[in-house]
Formats: sequence, C-alpha cells, structure tokens
Amino acid sequence: MAWGPGNWPDGLQEAIDEFSDVFDAMERYEMLFDWASKADILTSKGWTEANRIHGCQSEAHIECELDNSGGFRMRGGADAQIVQGLMAITCLAVNGLPPAQVVTFSPAFIEEMGLKASLTPSRSNGFLNMFERVRTEAARLISENGGE
Amino acid sequence: MVLDIAAIRADFPILAREVAGGKKLVYLDNAATTQKPRQVIDAMSYFYENCNSNVHRAVHTLAVEATEQYEAARDSIADWFGAKRENMVFTAGTTEAINLVAWGWARENLGEGDVILLTEMEHHADIVPWQLLGEEKGIEIRYIPINTEDGTLDMGAFDATIEEVSLVCVVHTSNVLGTRNPIERIISDAHARGRGGAGAKVLIDCAQGAPHHRINFATLGAEFVAISGHKMCGPTGIGCLLVDEDTLTEMVPFISGGDMIEEVHLTHSTFQTGPQKFEAGTPKIAEAIGWGAAINWLSQFDMTEIHAHCRGLGRWTAEQIRGIEGMTVHGEHDSDSGSGVVSFLHDSLHSEDLARLMDAGGFAMRTGHHCAQPLLRAFGVTSSNRVSFYLYNTREEAEAFIEHLRDVVTRFS
Repeated sequence: MAWGPGNWPDGLQEAIDEFSDVFDAMERYEMLFDWASKADILTSKGWTEANRIHGCQSEAHIECELDNSGGFRMRGGADAQIVQGLMAITCLAVNGLPPAQVVTFSPAFIEEMGLKASLTPSRSNGFLNMFERVRTEAARLISENGGE
Repeated sequence: MVLDIAAIRADFPILAREVAGGKKLVYLDNAATTQKPRQVIDAMSYFYENCNSNVHRAVHTLAVEATEQYEAARDSIADWFGAKRENMVFTAGTTEAINLVAWGWARENLGEGDVILLTEMEHHADIVPWQLLGEEKGIEIRYIPINTEDGTLDMGAFDATIEEVSLVCVVHTSNVLGTRNPIERIISDAHARGRGGAGAKVLIDCAQGAPHHRINFATLGAEFVAISGHKMCGPTGIGCLLVDEDTLTEMVPFISGGDMIEEVHLTHSTFQTGPQKFEAGTPKIAEAIGWGAAINWLSQFDMTEIHAHCRGLGRWTAEQIRGIEGMTVHGEHDSDSGSGVVSFLHDSLHSEDLARLMDAGGFAMRTGHHCAQPLLRAFGVTSSNRVSFYLYNTREEAEAFIEHLRDVVTRFS
C-alpha cells in the first residue's frame, strides 16, 4: 500500500501528531523553525540552477541520491526558514524509503499537520513543486540504477 | 474637515472580518489594492441586478440605462482628473494604459535615434513594454538612477541626458519607497529641453499618485497620464489613459475589433475618432460604473487630508521599524510629499517568513520584489516587506502592527 493518509511511516506519524495538537499558528511556526534548525541542510555552496526549485517565492534547492543501503536520501536548502522546515519534514517522510515508494508518496501529510492552512497559495504551490521534484528525482534514481 | 475614520471604516464591510483564526484584520497592503466601500459594491450590484446589458449599440431599455450609467461614470472620472471626456481612454488599468502609449503612440512615432528615459524606481509595467518596443524599433532606453540614501531620483543625471530624450516615462509616486517625484519639474524640463529643444513628451504613471493626490490633467501638462481604479477604492480591471487631444491624433489602435470601428468592409475598416478608437470590444461596464462610484465616494473628502493622514501613519511606522534591532527601512519618510508606504527588511528574518508570521497575527502586508526588481537591486536586496496605508487605517492599527512585529522579531530572529 502506498504511503498516504492513514498509513504514514512511524516517524512522520509522530510529527503529524505533534503538529496537529497545536492550534496556535505562531506556535506551529515556532515548531517549524525548530525543524528547520535541525534539518540536514544543503548549504548555499551546493545551490545550483540545476537543483533549484521553481515556483517558490524564496530560494529553494534539493539534492537527491541513494544512501549506502539503496534507500532514497534528499537534502534541501532554502533561504526562508518556513521552507527549510517544510524540507526537513519532507526529509523525515521520505529519506530511507525505497525510491519506488517515494515516487508514489502522498504529500497530504502537510495538510494533516495543519500546515497547509498556514501557507500562502504561492508557498503551498512551492511546497507541491518541491515535493513533485522529490518524486521526479526518485524516478530518475530508479531509472539510473536499473529498476527498483 | 478632519477625517472621521470610524465613519469611513463603517463603509468598508471587509474591515470588520476576522482572519488567522479569529484575529482582527489589519489591512496594510493598500499600495497593491485598496478595499472597496459599500457604495462601490452596491453600485456594481445594482447594475448587474437591474441594468445589465451591453452598451452603445442596442436600443432596448436596459441598453439605454447601461449606456447612460457607463458614460456618466466616464464623465465623473474625467472631471475628477481635470480632463475632458475626449482626453480619456478606458483601459484595464495602468499597465494597459502604458502599453497603449508604447504600442499605440511610441511605435508609430519613435524609432532609431530616439531615446526613452525611464527611472530606476519604475514599476515593471513602466519598464518591460519599453524594453520590448526598444528591441523592435531600435530605440535606446536610459534610466535616471536613484539616490539610495533618501530614495529620490538623481536629477543631475536627468539634467545631463534630457536634451537627447524623445519620451520621458516616470512614476508619480514609488510603490516601494513612497517617494513623490518632482514630476512638475520633469514635465517642464522635458518640454523645454527634450529632443534638442524641440520638446519631449512625458508619461506619468499615477497608479500610486492618484489615490493620494488630486491629479489634474489640465494643469499637470503631461501628454500621457496612466491611472488604475482599484488603488483608489474602485474595482479591479478598470483604469484609464489620459492623453492630450493633439497627441491622441498621432496614435493608432493598439487593440482592434468591435465598438472602435466606424465601418468594416472586406478589404478595410475605418475607425471611430477620439478615445473610442482605442476601446475595442465590450467595455468593462460594471467596473467603470464602480470606479465612478468610488470617485463619487472619495469626493466627499479633501485629498490633502487623506494624504496627510496616510503620510503621518507611514512616517510614524517607519520611525518605529527603524528602532527595531536588525531592521532596515528603505527610503526616507521625513518629507511631506511621499505616500504612506514603508518598505523594510530584517537582517536575519526572511521577508517571506516575516510576512507569514505577521499574517498569523491578522496583519496583511506585501512581500517580494513589488514588481520593481531594478529598484530593489539598487538597494542590494531581492525582496522586502512593505506596509502601505490608506484613509481607513488608524493609528491603533499601526501601533498593533508594530507591537506584533516586535514580538515576531523577538521570538523568531
């Protein structure tokens, strides 16, 4: 069964529960800033036009590769902390999974965390653009490494 | 008469709403678009509920009533701007008005060897059409730089180049800095010294100026004035180009089709004369009526008081922001001539994050490049935050904004 509502990886489910318990938008943003500070960050030295995410109002980049076990690994970097926090949560969601599971991973967790309502349409679109890029990169890694 | 802000606010239903989970809306994005008073909303609703019809052609009752209301709005708006109805072409807004000058006048009358002079603080709407036209026609585009210390134009650079210029396009009031430019001097000097003394024409972008100053086309003396309705309590999608009658005869249609023709044959067409020649297709009828209602509503106030009110709020807010650690305010806000616009940037909080955190408190402000990327580059930044006040904003709202801003900076920077 593909990862999606009602079936999230354990670590992501904990984060969803943590965010959805908070009703104050400012507190949710504080949590997102905390996530940003703990992220496996792609620093600005690694930002290139090739890994830039278009559609974000801020500067955002991701790099994707396979880890030693053949699992998916992404790192992201952004100049806005809210975007960096969203990247950190995306890393939590998909890193370590087989790339084939990343290709079909649902982005609906962001709504379950109560974050979509806190995002402007442009930023929400930016997140979806970023997530679509993650899935495209997973498909590329499958293709380059001869199957799943 | 002192502005009765409480009574003014009562005319704006949207100002009573809550956002961000029960927070009182504080709308500070007026340079992007202003809110609409009940009188404008009612005028447009009345039209659609009672008179909706196309204009100028049919003879049935609704068509006659629609035409009367539409043309009455034209008269009200032209009169407000000190123009005759023969001077005014309805457009979708300032952007279309500037494009009409570019493609309807400049394309026909300028070419290689001509120079168009812009400024570094122009909105993209007053840059991009000229770049495209310049590429097509071999016209040189020059810019008056700004002094970043105070956000004013380098008039020395203007003096140094004006004699070689055929057309000057300048913004009345900057949408980023609130700077009110010396347009009277620019118009006078362009006419006297432009094009080697033969006189350059002048286009004034009044998108930000018209909501704060009583623009009088007749006394201003520019050949072209571009205005948007939605920044002065009117609906979106309506604006105008004011153009003097001699220059109008030098223009060709930029958009063609119905309503602007006199006769159409299989081999050729003839056109209406005057502004109608440039108003092809079914016009923005309800929008024009709504803008007319906005003008009528604004006419109960003294525009100098509106300006003083907005300027006072902007000046106080700029001072407070300057006092917050890490904040830089762009431009100078001590003069009496600018608008109620304050642009600023924190040295560690990204402008997008800051705007989102302010929205969580109910404060609507703008973030990004404000369609003025060359201007922001002059300040060495790619985005900034901006608050902009209008006549319904209060000192209490400005104080609440500063209080929340201080809290955000303390918690998140």
